[in-house]
Amino acid sequence: METSKIIIAYFVYLPIVIGLTIFVSKKLFESGKSFMIEIFRGQENIALATNKLFEVGFYLINIGMGLILMKISERSVTYGISNQILIEVMGLKIGSFSIYLGVMLLLNLYLFLRGRKVTRSTQKTPEVPSFSMKK
Amino acid sequence: MNFNIISYCIYIPIIFFITLKIGWILYKNGEVFLCDMFTNDVELVKNLNKLLLIGYYLINLGAATLTITYWDTVENVVEMLNTLATVLGKTIIVLALLHFNNIFWIILLNRKKQPVATLK
Repeated sequence: METSKIIIAYFVYLPIVIGLTIFVSKKLFESGKSFMIEIFRGQENIALATNKLFEVGFYLINIGMGLILMKISERSVTYGISNQILIEVMGLKIGSFSIYLGVMLLLNLYLFLRGRKVTRSTQKTPEVPSFSMKK
Repeated sequence: MNFNIISYCIYIPIIFFITLKIGWILYKNGEVFLCDMFTNDVELVKNLNKLLLIGYYLINLGAATLTITYWDTVENVVEMLNTLATVLGKTIIVLALLHFNNIFWIILLNRKKQPVATLK
């Protein structure tokens, strides 16, 4: 009886985690295309390829992390799982995974913005000698 | 069905509604400030804004769901109302603090930016 409740919890948890990861990475890397194209200065094939590779990495890391977080510890099982504890444990799992995913998303966004900044600052430096050449 | 589960069922819709509503308002009104920071890059600002909204939702809804684990046991209706009020109040105050933090940063960044603009 108790193990069947845990299995139900796993079957609720897994689709939520995988669906959330797919949704977030789709949104992130749809927008990531424009960042990547800017970072690679319009070389579209390299930008799209890098985008795809990042997307695969994002999937791997997050689904892996979701699976690691999945296990419901023995401590709550020894007390006997009531419906209330089941809901609380699910809240803990899904909430912490969601926060983790949010932090990963913002980290990725930060990397995009940083890459864009670096590209901009390196783009400006060649202009300076060309101005001095004209003079 | 004990009182804890009933109060979870009340708590989750309320907090989700508040968070979603606030996020949507911030999304609508924040675009102007982002446009100000990233001049003449409308597409980038739209994408960035969307991603920020998703990040906000993930973190805040996650935190709201997470608090369910740390509730006291609720035994009657009065306790249920008390706990609901306390937890909702705490969560909303945290949201408000985050919101004022955002406003503070926007003002600070704009103030930094303005002298440069006038110098040019």
